[in-house]
Amino acid sequence: MDGIIEAISSFASQQPAIFALIIGIIGAAVIAGVVNVGAMLVIWGERKVLSDFVQRYGPNRVGGRWGILQLGADAVKFFTKEDSIPQGADRAVFVWAPIVVSIATMMVAAAIPFGALHIGGKDYPLVVANMDISAFYVEAALSIMAIGAFMAGYSSNNKYSLLGAFRGVARMIAYEVPMGVCVVAVAVMAHSLNLVEIVQNQTLWYAFAQPIGFIIFLIALVTDLGRIPFDQSEAEEEIISGYNTEYGGIRFGLLYFQEYNNMVLGSILLVLMFLGGWHGPIIPIPLLDIISPLIWLFMKVVIVMWGLIWIRSSLFRLRIDQVTDLGWKWMLPLSILNLGWAIIIGSYFA
Amino acid sequence: MTNANDVLSSLQSAFPGALTEPKVESEMRLWVAVDSKKIVDVCKFMRNKLGFDHYSGCAGVDWIAKKEFEVVEIMASHDTSNSVVAMLKVKTPRDKPSVPSLTGLFWNANWYEREAWEMFGINFEGHPELYPLILVDELVGSWPWRKDFKGYPDTTTGNRIVETVTNDGYLEYSVAPHPAEVEAGTVPKERPKYPSFREREERDIKSDSEMIMHLGPQHAMVPGPFLLDVLVEGERVKKAYLDIGYIHKGIEKIMENRTWLQGITYTDRMCYVASLTNNECYCGAVEKLLGLEVPLRAQYIRVILEELSRIQSHLIGAGEFLTLIAGVGFAPWQYMIIDREGIISLIESVTGARLTHTFVRFGGVRNDLPEGFADQCRKTLKYTEERTKEYIELFEQDPIYHMRMDNIGAIKPEDGKRMGAAGPVLRATGVDYDVRKIDPYLIYPELDFKVITGTKGDSADRIDVRLREILESIHIIEQCLDRIPEGPIRTEAKIPKKIPAGEAYYRVEDPRGEMGMYVISDGGDKPYRVKVRGPFYATFQTLTPLLEGMYLADVVATAGSMDGCPSEADR
Repeated sequence: MDGIIEAISSFASQQPAIFALIIGIIGAAVIAGVVNVGAMLVIWGERKVLSDFVQRYGPNRVGGRWGILQLGADAVKFFTKEDSIPQGADRAVFVWAPIVVSIATMMVAAAIPFGALHIGGKDYPLVVANMDISAFYVEAALSIMAIGAFMAGYSSNNKYSLLGAFRGVARMIAYEVPMGVCVVAVAVMAHSLNLVEIVQNQTLWYAFAQPIGFIIFLIALVTDLGRIPFDQSEAEEEIISGYNTEYGGIRFGLLYFQEYNNMVLGSILLVLMFLGGWHGPIIPIPLLDIISPLIWLFMKVVIVMWGLIWIRSSLFRLRIDQVTDLGWKWMLPLSILNLGWAIIIGSYFA
Repeated sequence: MTNANDVLSSLQSAFPGALTEPKVESEMRLWVAVDSKKIVDVCKFMRNKLGFDHYSGCAGVDWIAKKEFEVVEIMASHDTSNSVVAMLKVKTPRDKPSVPSLTGLFWNANWYEREAWEMFGINFEGHPELYPLILVDELVGSWPWRKDFKGYPDTTTGNRIVETVTNDGYLEYSVAPHPAEVEAGTVPKERPKYPSFREREERDIKSDSEMIMHLGPQHAMVPGPFLLDVLVEGERVKKAYLDIGYIHKGIEKIMENRTWLQGITYTDRMCYVASLTNNECYCGAVEKLLGLEVPLRAQYIRVILEELSRIQSHLIGAGEFLTLIAGVGFAPWQYMIIDREGIISLIESVTGARLTHTFVRFGGVRNDLPEGFADQCRKTLKYTEERTKEYIELFEQDPIYHMRMDNIGAIKPEDGKRMGAAGPVLRATGVDYDVRKIDPYLIYPELDFKVITGTKGDSADRIDVRLREILESIHIIEQCLDRIPEGPIRTEAKIPKKIPAGEAYYRVEDPRGEMGMYVISDGGDKPYRVKVRGPFYATFQTLTPLLEGMYLADVVATAGSMDGCPSEADR
């Protein structure tokens, strides 16, 4: 094992450009697979868990009694549906909106560490673009999705979509700011904006070190994901489906997938920043000890996502004015308070 | 207690010579023909001096043999000490039918008169907006509920769809009548002129920042097809427009062409979540015409089933509403559906059907209770009671629920009475109006139950009233199960095929409020006229003024909390 690592590191030092290219290509393929397959599993999981909450079976026909092939069936359905663009739509923007959203998702995925390999007493993080300000970069890239959603709503020539787009933007502005302040508070405590270093420096979970920050980040995350109680931009009982009302076929598929991609990425982000990332006791079994950080991260992410689904089945939807009220009047002041707290505590940790 | 005789004598002394053909059926029912010039004054006198503040609707009747139309104004009171229903008949010649409108006195006369106009062609003088309510524009002018109506033009044969391109580039379709039908006279040569629904809406758009949004007829919000248009500026609703008739089945007309017994099945279809009370209302009216006594056991069975039906209706009413403010993934809504399943199975074990029961018969019921019903019923009700208490507690404690629901769509008690809201919507405002108390039928006077009222009349109160009414219904059923006597379930008397001539008005407390049926027999084997005064029709009308100035999300919370059943409003 040590030999392989040595060989790789010597190659990396001799040919850094080629090494970066190879890593980039492999990484891009892997994250595209991981994120999309993850999203598919989350869609299936959400349907199953949500059914379980209300004593239903959920998908149970396609692919055996667990209905695991339901996703394949849905994907085929999306691909084979008619591609229609509404009369009077802004065609270019309409076509590009799902693509912008997908690109933003991949941009986020590129900078997020998906875990680490524990080799020889050392953690090797699995991250494609390990940039210095990755926490901030991720936060910024998440906002691009709101722009994509706005493009979709604005270009559809549909009143429901337009209102959904406006709601989405109003909500995004109100919640990106406290979320950003929370990221700053985490960075202050970790003395870094790099997600890998944030995890490495997280000896005490930040959820315990700054509970207010954790709660605000969690709420802002749910808002960013556009899930109940913050799904005003596609509140189906009010504005049909909001910004994606006019989309059908694979274009809708992309927008729909993006929500679940986001759910995967958002949960990972939450775990990385507040729940100790891949930290956890190393499993003392050969080979399993290598991937034990991965297992820990996976378990934490699953628990977070299960919580998100639980929230969906048990909370009412807020009105858009109440959402912005909450964001500006409570979350922003509290997040700044939390930043002050982080500065005081952070100096103690240092 | 006010007596029908007293009402009649005070009317006669106030308007000498204006009243003819007085008929007092019982202490609670009064029929009298009023001179059409005096009707507004009579109604004003009744409202202001005698306390008849509850306008329950008007029925048009086509007396083709006498060559006249009759408009029957049904007047009642919200006062618990006054359970008289007065039917004031206004007669008008058939060739030029016109009667004074009561919209100046009763706000809620608006819809009833529009309906009488579009169906019978009776003009209402002084009505502010005499536009069709239920019919589509192409069919106005045929006056379909007149006795000499020959049928609509057949639109299924021939290539008669006319495509037109509007100014903004959209396609619009209309149906052109067949020349042969124009000749035969089934297509009216002249149609009344009025601005269309769309033109009326678009008149109100004042600036570029305003737009009209459709919430319906196909929308996640609507419990059945109806069109609710809102004029919004951003998220604020400036004005709301309501159009019904998308699920109009013409049940009142169909029942005129079916035998008396066949009519029961049609009452099921008016509102399938409350079909037992609909059955009861029709059968009760016919029993009054026949002068039948219902055996005691049958009365108990009817009450048990009608209260069970109320429970399941309230469960779905409250549950469906929750999806509107929480999304379909919301768990408690599905729990309510699961709970409702037990109640439905109970009803099914007696009637054999889950929704459309056709269970109540003239002078009795179809089946007796099956063996072991009482035990099963007690068990299910105990469970339902626990769960309902849990729901009440759950909503009481949920802060987001209160943020969304408190003071949303609040109705003041006087407004509720004035606008004619019915059932839980009216009771949520604090008015203790319940037909089971005010105009008791079956064995309700012997049973102990409270009329549930709210305090604020907002959306939260409406749901709360429904949930607490479930508990009250459970209490009623438990009493019935304890007391139910043995005996026949149908009257011994033979029910004739031809019902003696006469008229009857019978009202019951539907899950959605007061339902009344005005049934006229001319001595034949079919009803001459059946007028249904639906509870949701009455409540529906109060919706549009409530919505003005709200946020769009609150429109959903308000409209949903009405527990709508457009199927019954359209009939």
